[in-house]
Amino acid sequence: MHWGILIVVYPYITGLVAGAFILASLERVFNVKEIMPTYRLSLLTALSFLLIAPLPLLLHLGHPERFYEIMITPHLQSAMAMFGFVYVWYLMMVLILEIWFEYRQDLVVLAREESGLKKYFYYLLTLGSLDLSEKSLQFDKKAVGFITILGIPSAFILHGYVGFIFGSIKANPWWSSVLIPIVFLFSAIVSGIALMVLIYGISTLLRGKSINMPCMDKLATYLLNALIIDLSLETLDFIHRVYESVESIHIMGQMISQKLFISLIVVQLMLGTLLPIVLIVVTKTFNVPAELRRLVYFMAAIFVQIGIFSTRWNVVIGGQLFSKSLRGLTNYKMELLGIEGLLISIGLLILPVVILIVMIKILPPWKEDIGAAS
Amino acid sequence: MKTIAHLWNALPGPDQVKRLVIIFALLLSCWFALRQRLVPKTFGDAGHYRLTAIDSIEAQPVSYLGQSVCVECHDDVSDLKSASYHRDLSCEICHGPGAMHLEDPETYQLRPPKGRGLCTICHAYNPSRPTGFPQIDPMQHNPLEPCNNCHDPHDPTPPSTPEECGACHGEIARTKAISHHAGLNCVYCHETPDEHKHNPRAAIPHKPANRQFCGACHGENANSGREIPRIDLESHGGSNLCWECHYPHYPEAY
Ligand code: HEC
Ligand code: HEC
Ligand code: HEC
Ligand code: HEC
Ligand code: HEC
Ligand code: HEC
Ligand code: HEC
Ligand code: HEC
Repeated sequence: MHWGILIVVYPYITGLVAGAFILASLERVFNVKEIMPTYRLSLLTALSFLLIAPLPLLLHLGHPERFYEIMITPHLQSAMAMFGFVYVWYLMMVLILEIWFEYRQDLVVLAREESGLKKYFYYLLTLGSLDLSEKSLQFDKKAVGFITILGIPSAFILHGYVGFIFGSIKANPWWSSVLIPIVFLFSAIVSGIALMVLIYGISTLLRGKSINMPCMDKLATYLLNALIIDLSLETLDFIHRVYESVESIHIMGQMISQKLFISLIVVQLMLGTLLPIVLIVVTKTFNVPAELRRLVYFMAAIFVQIGIFSTRWNVVIGGQLFSKSLRGLTNYKMELLGIEGLLISIGLLILPVVILIVMIKILPPWKEDIGAAS
Repeated sequence: MKTIAHLWNALPGPDQVKRLVIIFALLLSCWFALRQRLVPKTFGDAGHYRLTAIDSIEAQPVSYLGQSVCVECHDDVSDLKSASYHRDLSCEICHGPGAMHLEDPETYQLRPPKGRGLCTICHAYNPSRPTGFPQIDPMQHNPLEPCNNCHDPHDPTPPSTPEECGACHGEIARTKAISHHAGLNCVYCHETPDEHKHNPRAAIPHKPANRQFCGACHGENANSGREIPRIDLESHGGSNLCWECHYPHYPEAY
């Protein structure tokens, strides 16, 4: 099989990036005060995962040392070859810029208060822009707002692009669908919100602070809405396929009932979508105490993560589990140790978390920490 | 120093943006500089690739000759093959790359792999092969025997439709061969028109129809070999047909 687990990890990671960023944008654009505590954390999370996003592709292509060629000899007619530019745009023009403007004030404060090497490091990060006048801070705010507005379509492009790559493979009936980019987008939002529920919850507990329940409730509401839209889209896609009933429908049916039964029906649909929806709806309808609510949200978020990972699995691996002549099913045997194996993939999923921890050390997302340093 | 600061402040736009513009300008010029250095000279001359790549590919040693070359010396084989079901296969797909053989046919022989492995690459049963493609189940189709014994690789259609029933009814033949009925000919029980061997579905052989058929050997009073076990045709097994309890190609007395 040509695309293995690394290619499963890739849309999973970009989905988390786009989802976390869109969550952060909600706070800025629609001014949702409740989820303020997750704003900076979401940006840092998006950045940490984005930094790792190209790695699965580079490892899969087998010549990581040639990575720069996609940038210096752009092929404008190839959607795959445009990845470099989509990526750089999102990294440089959206995430890094937004984070810089958001943190500039804190960076200046840190550069003033820290000592030794750290001082110079933060000074370098400010780019020497030390002006903290009201006017200049006001400008930072405006810049963040502007970049966020630019960022939403960019995040849509980043992950919609990944869906586009699959959706435009017209020889593959499992992938070829105009809905795929949109389905990818909403599953990205789902996974991003669920990730932030986890990261916000865990980081707050680790800091010994108490979790802000209005924020958690709001996140859960968003998660619920995104899940419902995602489920509706997937169902629409499904009904459309069944109604169209092109010749591939038989083998798709066989594949779903045999090869993908566990990962699609059980994990993606039941465990990853329906169960979280039910859990959240139940906690929202009944007056559940905060302690328990928190726990339920946590569980729901974990189920969603597992579900979205199998969504990616079902798309990428599923699309290769039937023969191109539509006559029979094939197998995917995952490596354990190889460069395209399970261990590397697990490593690639842990790496962003490590980066995030470092990032949080450098750029504390919590205002009070910066105050405490003084 | 003063004048620089003065100039800086004179530039339009907020301080942050000016600094960012510098950074981005630097990055962009890096990109242009790298492009200058790293993009190969002949890249893009004839398409989205390095033109000189063609030369380096040309310089690689040739290992395949192509069918047209083999034909020059082996026209007998190619004549045979071009009229067979294997006409669309290139020689080297089975014989391997032939460049060395061309240089010195005596030393570098193109012996294809022995055994059944070569043919089963294409002919082992696989549901994704096109409809009608000749396929066999290697476990069932004359197991263990090299394919070449019966099929000429250059003209694989079996030379004649087989005479023995076992060529087509292999499983039954192999079962019967180790049964108590091993000594019985198929045609003793199945009167078979000759046509059946050439056009099986057009002429169906006869099958035993009643208990008396078996009784001719196994009945109490049957005029048959003394070693043959006897039963009472009237009572044994009720009125059921014998093959409802005994598989005729492998009869067992429980
Ligand atoms: C220049 C003429 C020439 C060409 C071209 C040529 N062969 Fe041969 N080939 C020979 C000769 C001569 C022999 C006999 C060598 C021997 O008997 O020791 C031979 C022997 C063989 C044999 C072994 C015959 C045996 O009895 O074991 C095979 C197989 C074979 N060639 C295949 C090929 C294939 C396939 C090609 C095309 C890629 C090819 N040859 C191209 C001249 C040629
Ligand atoms: C389907 C695979 C296949 C293809 C295609 C094929 N061969 Fe062969 N060929 C064989 C095998 C297998 C043998 C060995 C036969 C044996 O050992 O009995 C063989 C034997 C030979 C021999 C040895 C003498 C003989 O006639 O048996 C020659 C010469 C030869 N092939 C030439 C060719 C040439 C020339 C072509 C292309 C026109 C060709 N073959 C295409 C499988 C193939
Ligand atoms: C590279 C693939 C390939 C290999 C290897 C190959 N064959 Fe074939 N074979 C074919 C094709 C293609 C056909 C023609 C199918 C058709 O016309 O529908 C065919 C047809 C046949 C037929 C059917 C002839 C008929 O009368 O219907 C037989 C028998 C056969 N091959 C035997 C063999 C044997 C024995 C070998 C090994 C020496 C072999 N094949 C190796 C591809 C292959
Ligand atoms: C004992 C002789 C014998 C051997 C050994 C043998 N075959 Fe056959 N094969 C036959 C005969 C006879 C037929 C034609 C009767 C039939 O259609 O079943 C045949 C038919 C075929 C067919 C055509 C089936 C169809 O549906 O048209 C293929 C393909 C084939 N053989 C491949 C092989 C391959 C591959 C091997 C080696 C793995 C092999 N045979 C070994 C005797 C043999
Ligand atoms: C060329 C291949 C071939 C040969 C040789 C062959 N048969 Fe058949 N035979 C067939 C096929 C194919 C059928 C299945 C016909 C059908 O199901 O319509 C068949 C069916 C039969 C049947 C079952 C008929 C029924 O009503 O179900 C018998 C009995 C039989 N063969 C006996 C023999 C005997 C005995 C011989 C040897 C004398 C023999 N065959 C030789 C291909 C062959
Ligand atoms: C002792 C007599 C006897 C002998 C010998 C015998 N058969 Fe049969 N065969 C039968 C009977 C009886 C049936 C009918 C079974 C039934 O209808 O369920 C039968 C059915 C069949 C059938 C069709 C049903 C099936 O099992 O596929 C085939 C084909 C067949 N025989 C082939 C052969 C071949 C080939 C041989 C020789 C290798 C052979 N038979 C030898 C008695 C015999
Ligand atoms: C031409 C004579 C003949 C015919 C007809 C015949 N058989 Fe037999 N049968 C034999 C012989 C010979 C033996 C083997 C005796 C021995 O084991 O030495 C035998 C053995 C058996 C056995 C005993 C196996 C055992 O485990 O001891 C059974 C059961 C049997 N036949 C059933 C049948 C049935 C059912 C039919 C009808 C479809 C039939 N036979 C037709 C000759 C015949
Ligand atoms: C209802 C099932 C049934 C039917 C029908 C049947 N048998 Fe049997 N047969 C048996 C069983 C069970 C045995 C072994 C026990 C015994 O010896 O009674 C047996 C044993 C035999 C034996 C071996 C006797 C020995 O002494 O070793 C022969 C021969 C035999 N049957 C032939 C036939 C013949 C011929 C027919 C058709 C006329 C027939 N059977 C019908 C069930 C059946």
